[in-house]
Amino acid sequence: MLEIAGISKRFGALAALDDISLSVADGEIHCLLGENGAGKSTLCNVIFGVIRPDAGTMQLAGQAFNPSRPADSLRAGVGMVHQHFSVIETLTVLENMMLGHAGTRLPRVATARRIREISEEYDLSVESDRLVGTMSVGERQRVEIVKCLMLAPKLLVLDEPTAVLPPAEVDSLLAVCRKVTQRGCAVILVTHKLAEIREVADRVTVLRGGRAVTTARLAEADLGALVRAMVGRDVAALGTTTGAAHGVETAAEAAGMTRTGAAPTPIVAAEDALTLDAVSYVDEAGRRRLDEITIVIRRGEIVGLAGVEGNGQSELGAILAGLALPSAGRVFVDGKEITGRPPAVITAAGVGVVPEDRHAVGCIEALSVAENVCLSALGAFSRFGMLRRRQMAARAVDLMRSFDVRAAGPDAPMRSLSGGNQQKVVLARELSRDDLVFLLAAQPTRGLDVGAVAAVYDRIRTARAIGTGVLLISSELDELLSVADRILVIYRGRIIGERKADPAAREAIGALMSGHVPVAP
Amino acid sequence: MSDIVAQTAPRRRRLRLAPLIPAAAAAGAVAVALLLVAATGRPVGIAIAAFWDGIAGSAFAFGASFDRAITLAFVGLGFILAGRAGLTNVGGEGQLAVGGIAATALALHGAGDLPRMLAPALPLVGGAMAGAVWGGVAGILKVRRGTNEVISTLLLSFVALQLVYWCVQSTQLLRKPQTSDSTLPESLDVPDITQLPLLFPDTGSPLHIGLFLVLIAAAAVAVVLTHSTLGLRLRAVGLNALAARRAGINDRGIVVLALTLAGALAGLAGAIMIVGEQYNLKTDFTSGYGFDGIVVGLLARGSVGGVLVFATLLGFLRSGGISMEITAGVPAAAVLICQGLIVITIAGSAILGDRARGSA
Repeated sequence: MLEIAGISKRFGALAALDDISLSVADGEIHCLLGENGAGKSTLCNVIFGVIRPDAGTMQLAGQAFNPSRPADSLRAGVGMVHQHFSVIETLTVLENMMLGHAGTRLPRVATARRIREISEEYDLSVESDRLVGTMSVGERQRVEIVKCLMLAPKLLVLDEPTAVLPPAEVDSLLAVCRKVTQRGCAVILVTHKLAEIREVADRVTVLRGGRAVTTARLAEADLGALVRAMVGRDVAALGTTTGAAHGVETAAEAAGMTRTGAAPTPIVAAEDALTLDAVSYVDEAGRRRLDEITIVIRRGEIVGLAGVEGNGQSELGAILAGLALPSAGRVFVDGKEITGRPPAVITAAGVGVVPEDRHAVGCIEALSVAENVCLSALGAFSRFGMLRRRQMAARAVDLMRSFDVRAAGPDAPMRSLSGGNQQKVVLARELSRDDLVFLLAAQPTRGLDVGAVAAVYDRIRTARAIGTGVLLISSELDELLSVADRILVIYRGRIIGERKADPAAREAIGALMSGHVPVAP
Repeated sequence: MSDIVAQTAPRRRRLRLAPLIPAAAAAGAVAVALLLVAATGRPVGIAIAAFWDGIAGSAFAFGASFDRAITLAFVGLGFILAGRAGLTNVGGEGQLAVGGIAATALALHGAGDLPRMLAPALPLVGGAMAGAVWGGVAGILKVRRGTNEVISTLLLSFVALQLVYWCVQSTQLLRKPQTSDSTLPESLDVPDITQLPLLFPDTGSPLHIGLFLVLIAAAAVAVVLTHSTLGLRLRAVGLNALAARRAGINDRGIVVLALTLAGALAGLAGAIMIVGEQYNLKTDFTSGYGFDGIVVGLLARGSVGGVLVFATLLGFLRSGGISMEITAGVPAAAVLICQGLIVITIAGSAILGDRARGSA
C-alpha cells in the first residue's frame, strides 16, 4: 500500500528523520514504536503532507505519492487522526463532518446517514446530534476516526491514539483498527506501549533518533529486543516496574521474583496525611460528579485511584489542588482542615500537586524553567519585591541536576522541553520541599517515554520513603499495580471497592472499574 | 528544540532589515497622505509647511507636541501593564476624564492653600487615585461577574465623559460662577500655585515637569515588568491564569490590581493635562487622547521603550495635524485619515515582519 524510501527531514542541526525506508502492506497494522522525539510524529506528518521531506520518495498503491498539503493526502486516500484533535467543540458531530463541504446546501440527511452507517459498520457508537464539547476524550477520538472513515481511506494514520484513552476504550480502539484492516485499508499506529503492539500489530518498526532501527513481524519479534532497540539500552536497567507499565514481563518476573517496587517500606506510619470526609461535588450542570468520597491516606503510603477516565478523578484532583470547591464534605491535610482554601494555603499546608493536565495547570510554557520552578515560592526568591534572578537560576540548576531535567539551561522556555522533561520540572517543584505531607499525582506519566516514566516512579517512591502520603490517580492499571500499595476504584463518582496492589487482583479491579461490584457471599 | 535551531539563522538576517520596513511603510503613507491633501484642493506646500510649524515651528509648538506625547505615554504605559496580565484596557479616555475631574476639584478646593511643593502634588495624587478607582471597578466586574474588560472599560469611559459634562454644567459642582449669559460651561482656572512648573518658562514653551514624571513612570513600569515579582505574577496570570492560581498566585487580585494600576497611570495623565497645560476643566478636555493612548500601547507591543517612541510619534503627528487643519485649512477628516494611514502601515509592517520570521 505505502512504500517509503530514503525519507529524510532536517530541522536545522537536528535530523528529525534520517533515511527512513519502510513499507506498509494492504490490510496491515503497522506499528511505529519509539521514545518521545524519535521522529514518529514527524514521519506521520510527512505521510499526511503536513511536512515536506528534504529527500526520499513515497509510493501509495503503486502511484508516486508526493503530497504538499494535507488536502493532497486526503484526496489520495490517506486519513490521519492527530494527537491533538481537530474537531470544533461548539459544533455538533454532524456539523463537524460537513465542515469541508463545498456546495451551497449542506447534505444534512446524507451525512447523518453516512455517520450512522459507519458507526454501525465499525461499532463506533457516534451520535451525530451531540455537541463535541460535551464529549469525553475517547468519544471525540471516535468522531475523528469516523471523520476519516467517511472518506473511505486506503491508509489510516493514528498518531498516539491510545495515550489519552482509558483501558476499556483502548481495547475498543484496537478492535476498530482490526475491523478497518479487514476491509483492506492499511493502518499506521504510533504508540509507545508494547502491550498494544502485542495485541494488534502485524509488523513493528522501531524508530530511534530519527532512524528506523529495526522492522520485524510481530510473530517473530522478541518484545524485549524491541524495547532495547527503542531505548538503546537494556530494559532490565530501567527497573521491572517500568517494563510492566509498558506491558513487558521481564525474565525476573516470569521466574516469580519479587517486584522491587511493590514492597512498601514506610518510615513514618500511623499518621494520616490526607483525610477526605464524605466529599461531594455537583458540577454547574447539576450532575453529581463526586458522591460522598471518603478516603484516608496515611503518611508513607501510596494509594492508587483506579477508574475509567471521566468517573470523577478530574474533579477530585481539582478539589485537592484548590481549584474547585466541594459541594459538601471536608478535606484535612495532616489534621488541618483545608476545605475550600486557595491553592497558596493548601501548598503551605504541605500539599504537592502534579496535575493531570500539565499544559493547562502544571506549568506555564511561555515562562522559563527557573520561573516555573520558583513561581509558587516567589517570596523566597525576591527582596523588596524584586526578583533575585541569580538565586532563581541557581535553584533551577540544582533541581535540574537532581531530577535529571534535560534543558538548554534554567532560562530555557518551558515550551522548548520535551513532555518528559516538563513533567520532571513539575515534579521537582512539587517534591523538593522538606515538609511535604501529601502528594497528589494525577496521571503523572501520561505521554511520557520509558525513561521518563521510570524517573517519575522513582520520585514518587522517594516521596513515600520520606513519609509523604501519595494519592496516585491513573487510568493505567499496570502503573497502579506496580507503584501503589493499595488501590481504590472510583466509578461514577463513588469509591466502589478497594484491593491490595497485587497482580492477582488485576481481574477484580478491572471488573470494579467497569462498575461490576461482586455480590457479597 | 528543533524549531529553534531551524529558525535562528534566517531570523538574524531578517532582523537587520526589520527597522527599514516600518520606515518605508511610513514614508509610503505620508506620500498617500500628501496626495489626499492635494485632492482637497489645498496647496501641498502650504500644508507641509503648516505641518512642520505645528511640530517644531516654534518653542511653543515643540513643547505642546511633547505635552501631548506625555499624556499618550502615560495611557500607553497603563495599557501595556494591563496587557502583561492578558487584559485590554480600552478605558484610558474615561480614566483621563475622572483623573482630570479629581485634579480640578482638589486644585480648586484645598490644594491652593498648600506650600509650593505640595500644591501640584495633591491634584496629581487625587487624579491617579480617581483613575485607579475607574480601572479597578472594571477589574472587580471582571473577577466577580465575568464582565469582559474591553466592554466595561469602554462603557465606563462614556460614563466618565458624561461626568465631566455634568461637572462643568452645574455650578453646584465645578462650573465657574455664572456672571453673564456668555459664561462658558467650564471650571475656574486652577490656582497658579497648583500648576506644574514649566521647564523653559522664558521661551514660551508649555513643556512642563510632566516630562520627568513620565520618564520616572516609564522606568518604574519597566523595572516592575522585568525585574519584580509583580511583573512575573502579571505575566503568569496573563499566560495561564489557572496554572498561576495553582502556583499560589491570587489571579483575581492580580487582574484587579493590573486594571487599577493602568487606571492610575491614565488618571495621573488626566490630572497632568489639567494642572500642566489646560488649567481648567472643559467638556471633552480629553479630546481622544485616551483612545490614541491605546494605539500607542498596541504599537509598542508590550515594550516600554516602544511606548515612549510611539507616544512621541503620535504626539507630534497630532500637533502637526492640528496646525495643518487650522493654518492650511486642510479638513480635519483628511488629517485624521493621514494619521490613520501611518498607524496602520506601521502596525501592518510589524505584523508582516512577524510573519516573515514565523515562516522562516
